[in-house]
Amino acid sequence: MDTQATPEATELRAVRTTGQGTPGALGAVLPFLVLLAVGVAFPLFGGGYWGVIATRACVYWVLVSGLNLVVGFAGQIAIGWVALLTLGAYATSVLAAGNVMPALPPYLALVCAALVGAVFGLIVGLPALRLRTFYFAITTLGFATIVTQVALAWQSVTGGGIGVPGPVFPEPFASQWGFYYFCLGLAAVCTWMTANIAASRFGRALTAIRDAEVAAEASGIAKPALLAIVFLFSGAVAAVAGGLFAALQSYITPDAFTFDLSVLFFIAILIGGRSSVLGPLLGTILLTVLPEFAAPLVAWSTFLYAALLLVIVLAIPGGIAELLDFRNRRPLESGRAIVPQPRLVARLLDAAPATGALTLDQLGLSFGGVRAIDGLDLEIRPGQVHGLIGPNGSGKTTTLNVISGYYAPQRGAVRLEGAALPPLARHLRAHMRIARTFQTPRIVGSASVLQNVMIGGTIHGHGTFVESLLSLPRHWRDEAMLRETAMLALAAVGLERLAPVRADRLQHAELRFIEIARALMLRPAFLLLDEPAAGLSAEEIVRLSTLLLAIARAGVGVLLVEHHPDLIFDICHHVTVLNLGRKLAAGTPAEIRSHREVVNAYLGG
Amino acid sequence: MPISAADPLLDVAGLSSGYGKIRVLFGVDLKVGPGEVVALLGPNGAGKTTLLRAVSGLLPWSGSVRFGGCDLTGFGPRDTVKRGIAHVVEGHRVFTQLSVLDNLLLAAYGLARVERAARVEEVLELFPEIAAKRRERAAWLSGGQQQILAVAQGLVRRPRLLMLDEPSAGLSPVLVDRVLVVVQRLREAGTAVLLVEQLIEKALAIADRVYALTRGSIVLDAETSEADLPHRLEQAYMARSGRQG
Amino acid sequence: MIESIILSGTAMGCIYALIAVTYNVMFSASRVFSFTAGTLGMLGGVLGALFIARMGMPVALGFIVVLAGGAALGLVTEIVAVRPVLKSLDQHLYVLSTLALALMVQQFTAIEWSTEPQPFPRLFGLARVDFDQQFWLPMLACAVVIVGLELLYRHTLIGHAFLAIAEDNYAARALGLPERGLRMTSYALAGVIGALAGFAGGEMMLAFFANAPLLTFYGFVPVSLGGMGNNRGAVVAGLLLGLFQQTANFLVGGIFASVAVFAVFIIVLLARPDGLVGAAQQRRV
Repeated sequence: MDTQATPEATELRAVRTTGQGTPGALGAVLPFLVLLAVGVAFPLFGGGYWGVIATRACVYWVLVSGLNLVVGFAGQIAIGWVALLTLGAYATSVLAAGNVMPALPPYLALVCAALVGAVFGLIVGLPALRLRTFYFAITTLGFATIVTQVALAWQSVTGGGIGVPGPVFPEPFASQWGFYYFCLGLAAVCTWMTANIAASRFGRALTAIRDAEVAAEASGIAKPALLAIVFLFSGAVAAVAGGLFAALQSYITPDAFTFDLSVLFFIAILIGGRSSVLGPLLGTILLTVLPEFAAPLVAWSTFLYAALLLVIVLAIPGGIAELLDFRNRRPLESGRAIVPQPRLVARLLDAAPATGALTLDQLGLSFGGVRAIDGLDLEIRPGQVHGLIGPNGSGKTTTLNVISGYYAPQRGAVRLEGAALPPLARHLRAHMRIARTFQTPRIVGSASVLQNVMIGGTIHGHGTFVESLLSLPRHWRDEAMLRETAMLALAAVGLERLAPVRADRLQHAELRFIEIARALMLRPAFLLLDEPAAGLSAEEIVRLSTLLLAIARAGVGVLLVEHHPDLIFDICHHVTVLNLGRKLAAGTPAEIRSHREVVNAYLGG
Repeated sequence: MPISAADPLLDVAGLSSGYGKIRVLFGVDLKVGPGEVVALLGPNGAGKTTLLRAVSGLLPWSGSVRFGGCDLTGFGPRDTVKRGIAHVVEGHRVFTQLSVLDNLLLAAYGLARVERAARVEEVLELFPEIAAKRRERAAWLSGGQQQILAVAQGLVRRPRLLMLDEPSAGLSPVLVDRVLVVVQRLREAGTAVLLVEQLIEKALAIADRVYALTRGSIVLDAETSEADLPHRLEQAYMARSGRQG
Repeated sequence: MIESIILSGTAMGCIYALIAVTYNVMFSASRVFSFTAGTLGMLGGVLGALFIARMGMPVALGFIVVLAGGAALGLVTEIVAVRPVLKSLDQHLYVLSTLALALMVQQFTAIEWSTEPQPFPRLFGLARVDFDQQFWLPMLACAVVIVGLELLYRHTLIGHAFLAIAEDNYAARALGLPERGLRMTSYALAGVIGALAGFAGGEMMLAFFANAPLLTFYGFVPVSLGGMGNNRGAVVAGLLLGLFQQTANFLVGGIFASVAVFAVFIIVLLARPDGLVGAAQQRRV
């Protein structure tokens, strides 16, 4: 069903689904407030023993909140994070006790431990950039073992097997309940900080790296820098947890830091669910408290955690967060139509068009002995749609991949307004206002449609990680700007009604349009599309044509790699035909259609 | 080569299939009679390979597929092979670490040892160019020889229906003809062949009937003897899609 | 002293190499690494001590039962932790499912068997000599497995089928090879190899549940250095690892030997993420 939407109506709808003070926002904060209230009131009904358990849960959560960003959001399988707890515990204790240098006040020791933790978090985490998943997991395990063994061996500092006393915090935090409130306070602060990151462009960028890495690159997200910050933060926070742990235990030895603890942290996040803060929080509380209900359970606790993990992985990979996601259980309307709105496209793409063309200049690339691209000249002019067609293996997608930086040309160059593009800098293309879509839609399935589109505009945010962490004004301005732009982009492609829906519930065609909306967030000068019509019905192809023509009319240079004759002959201003890496013919669609050789090549003669 | 009797009729009706959320085939109807060579043509992305994969059980599908009177619902590739369908996949994929002989013996996996050896010898007689290299590792064969080996693998079990996915891809014209001569011989011996091809003229020269598939639907179904076929095919390929979503 | 380093280094190296082969056999069948490889090694020692020392079975019978136990755990790994996640879109669930399974087995062993290392029986009642059975048993096991696998892969139809599935899973399925059955058999075989490693190395490593994480790590080092799926590389790397570790042990002591091994491992991996030798023959794409 076609609905005509005026810009005003769209904006009204946009405001209703976003913004603070709406029921949606309160619903998100409420569970945390309830937990905080329970925590604050806890000493009233909990005894001494349960006080220790509750304090322990708070301390564990301080670590897990940081690790959540690494494991839950960034998807890095860091199993050996107990190493940082160990480091933090020993650093704090040793500095406070004065084994190495004059004793520091406990708060200062804690801060120093955080610095140590940050550095080591980076050291443990950085191999993730280079190693495959399983390899990285194993290295973190190895690291955890090493740290414990060093603690055992370095007797002069750590007391070896005998251990060291933990730090003692001054009043009012020296008593059991005083210390409990201290830990509860820190846990609350960590919850707040990590929730801020989760709802920021950094959190979304992390999930993009995890689930749709190529799309993240194409959106300009630099994986190394982002992961480095996250490892620094996570390491620091884990070390602080270590200091608190040492104070709670009042005396630490190396065998307090068992592999079991690492398992607990890791599993708490996975049981809780990825891309969630509430889920892992509940998971941590659950796993800390569960074994305490029956004495035999304590011995079997790790076995239970592992069994729980197995069940979650096999049955509910989304964890507790998925169970609590009521909103996404509501059925979607069937018979949904995607209705692009050209007027909004023009409003969105109001940035100045490029002054020059994107050209391929005698481009050449071979794989082994095969010439994938052989001396290709091509010009994508702003405001025009340039079609690139050819049989399978002709080099169409390879050409697109060279332009977007996946392969370096061996001969010739890709030039933007005359200057050659740096060959393999995939993530810099976004900064040059070159956007692209992919043959198979690369989407973060567990995120909402709106969040997916907002990922496209990540590099347009100005606030730093710390500003988001502390919820400072620039973070809010960024969020408002990204949200508004994303809603406009969704309205432009015709999907604004689906903004809050989890992306993996959508149909294939809708995912394709979401990719385009995401690309448009960059307000690109050039848009590269890789077979966008594949899997679309005739009706949807017509809508796609409308959209692409509107985009071109707004001044964008569009490169369209396609098979579908409909799309090519209807909307392209120019068509280049490739065969075996070489340009077979080039011209207007009418010229190409009647070109004998082209017909043969295309049909495979 | 002696071929088992029985009637190898492939009857596909209303076949739909795809990859996860991406639907590729929308209600395809297709028939192959015993001993017939049927060509399946169409532009890239039309779904030809998907169709073969659905029939051989490599992909889940809905609709109806009957082979020799038997309903293939729920059959995986192992079951369809046992029933008498051989699927030679695209890209002349053979096992490069194994010898030609071992590649062929693998195709007979599950048969008794003596029968395995006998069938393999039968097939090697059909293909002297690879028989000469029987002990060589498949990695050292040329692309064309590997394609011949792949076809030979498909024939080891004496299938009633052989499905070939673009056997000419990446081959020189000489080798393409060589492969098609084999198809000719198969037809003479009574094996049905479903041939997916990009080279229209060659396919039309050898097939009895032809289907054209575009965007997941059959748009043409004709005997190769019919007049004006190349032109009709071109129209079918370039035509505007009138299909509903 | 040098002699003792060479003997213990080679013996431990053979154990690590066998665990690496266990990883590789599972990997070849499913393109997935399983955390249960190290656990299998641990079980080889623990079950050996349980059946032979504690329950008094004759050595030969105990040996067979231990191998059967390894095969069983291998099968369980495939059925419970690998098969269900192979189909899923999330590539990395297998890391979690196999980790969970491995932890469950380890914890169960710790609770039901013992948290302390227990002695492993002397398999042949011979007197202790320099070139003692605790050294040559692992070497013999390694040699037998390597030769056996070569024969399997080169000269048997099922070995060829394993190679086919590893090289090109899609073509193998299309040809009608029983992919699931072959995968299960591979995992059972891997289970036998892992258990054998632990059994042969039982006297050196003792029957200790904490051998599992140890072998998980040290058994993986040869895999990553020798190339995924590459058994020959794994053996060479395993032997080098064993010798390096014992040498470092002797020179700087146990703790720093571990640090040294880990440091070398990380540095090599960061420099060559695909291993020193490179992955086993892959289908050209």
